[in-house]
Amino acid sequence: MEFITGLYLFVIIISIYLYSIFLLLLFKNRKELFNYNLSKENLPTVSILIPVYNEEKTIAGTINSVLNLDYPKDKIEIIVLNDGSTDNTERIARSFKEIKVITKPNSGKADSLNYGINIAKNEFIAAVDADCYHEKDALLKVINCFKEDPNIEAVTSAVRVKNQEKLLGKLQFIEYTLISWARKLLEFINSVYVTPGPLSVYRKSTLKKLGGFDKNNMTEDIELAWRILRNNHKIKMCLSAKVYTVVPEKFSKWWHQRLRWDIGGLQTFSKHKDTLGKTKYGMLGVWVAPFYLSSFILALLGFIVALYIIGGRIISKILLYFYSINTNSFTLEFKYLNLTPSIFTIFGLLLITIYLIYITFGLKMMDPGKIPTHRKFTLLVYMFFYLILYPLVFIQSLYLFFMNKTIKW
Amino acid sequence: MVVQKDVFWKAAIITAIVFILGVLLGYFMESSRIDNIREEYKTVEVEWADAKLQSTYFQILNPKFCDIAIKENLNFADRVYEEGLKIERYENANKLNNDNQLLYEKQRYALFKIEFWLNSIYLKDKCKANYTNVVYFYLDKPSLIEKPKQETISLILRDLKNKYGQQIMLIPIPLDLDIATVNVIKTTYNISIVPTILIGEKNKLEDTHTIEEIEQAIKNAM
Repeated sequence: MEFITGLYLFVIIISIYLYSIFLLLLFKNRKELFNYNLSKENLPTVSILIPVYNEEKTIAGTINSVLNLDYPKDKIEIIVLNDGSTDNTERIARSFKEIKVITKPNSGKADSLNYGINIAKNEFIAAVDADCYHEKDALLKVINCFKEDPNIEAVTSAVRVKNQEKLLGKLQFIEYTLISWARKLLEFINSVYVTPGPLSVYRKSTLKKLGGFDKNNMTEDIELAWRILRNNHKIKMCLSAKVYTVVPEKFSKWWHQRLRWDIGGLQTFSKHKDTLGKTKYGMLGVWVAPFYLSSFILALLGFIVALYIIGGRIISKILLYFYSINTNSFTLEFKYLNLTPSIFTIFGLLLITIYLIYITFGLKMMDPGKIPTHRKFTLLVYMFFYLILYPLVFIQSLYLFFMNKTIKW
Repeated sequence: MVVQKDVFWKAAIITAIVFILGVLLGYFMESSRIDNIREEYKTVEVEWADAKLQSTYFQILNPKFCDIAIKENLNFADRVYEEGLKIERYENANKLNNDNQLLYEKQRYALFKIEFWLNSIYLKDKCKANYTNVVYFYLDKPSLIEKPKQETISLILRDLKNKYGQQIMLIPIPLDLDIATVNVIKTTYNISIVPTILIGEKNKLEDTHTIEEIEQAIKNAM
């Protein structure tokens, strides 16, 4: 057996295992995925922190969305943390009389949130990004999740895509939908490894005890979630609490955002690598850290295998056509293709089938009804083009991470 | 909120079952292809023995043996050529079995082709036959650069064979299967570059050439 065949089969085994876990979790918990509680009894007080930096286009929408939340007004305080914006963000924020606006020198999102935690008066802290729009009942659903278990220290929400006009937005709609769905499944093994910015709520006491957000990490929301898990606490995901976020519409911005995510992920893994395989750190040690590591390894190995197999064939075909043209014998005929199936074909088709089942379930459960035709087309682009970009971004992130280079927010 | 750790071992069992079934299916497919090649080889072996015996028979008992012998030779040529392509196709798709599992079959087919080439030379001389031997020397395991060159020449020769039919006796011979006779041929014709085309045992074309150049060389030898 060739080395590349062994590598391919290894990637296949790990992929089948990961998808089996997700599918088992789905079938076991399918009736509980969208459970929520809208009770208004014994609601705790919440401080909503909105860190902003040059968000003049979106801040008003976000503040309006937060003001319209279906939650007792006497139990929430809204604090906009203006992180040294140089545009009209502060002026727009101050036009809302119901909220507090704190202006401070620019020091980054994590530091702004830590500042907010220190001045917040309430029992719970809701971190909200400045380009997000919440469904009215989102906070109520999230807060009620804390009542299920006193060891739940953070609850996060389903982040959906607001701007879906362009292809990149449509692709990210699928991606965000599947991410939310997968994150919910991970909750059943206490492995929600990120509390994303659009809406995540924490117990203030826990944030204080853990020392708040890590201002040196580029994805402070991933790092904090890892620290919560490291201390054997639980994080819950409320799939029915929906928040709509504005995603990048330009490829360069998308790439930049993903670099930041990947570098932040690597920083987080590097900080918590001591937990790898250790049961005393709960699911972080035995599952989240290995899962995170294996995802990156899989992406890289998958890319190498694909590059070797597909890249080799492409080079060979280009050279073939080059020689064919030079010898005046240009031939492109179907009969010359080798269509004899191999083990690569069997497992490749199997994996595509498993993945199709997985994403079809995901999309159908998140948005019940028939998947529209345009989304089926986007799905194909997502599967066969968009996902290929992941390892490419990761390779550059690895380089930047090891060269100790950071990128701006 | 109960952590459902049982999914880990259940997923491991599912993975093991799916993976083992997939590998078994792969092995079964590959083995059946190899068996298929071996079965067909037995048939070709009998056909070749039959063709040789016919030649001998006609040489000893019937002086007008040429037409039948040439026809048998040409039929056999086509058969061996098709089998060679099938082996190549199967070999590319076989990933689990030992890389050298088909080496023996390939060596035997290479020997057939050499024997057949020599028979073609003999028949051409004896019967003043109206065909040209086009021997195509290639590598069984070419490099990334050599492979497309070989494929180009192979496609050109296939097209010319389709065009000229039985006027061309196309005989592809691999140079890297560790066969002593092949080494002798390499030395005799001073073959050091792949692909190389030997037309009518005299004219040698090395590396890539245009379809027109190859066609002209064949026409000149006819």
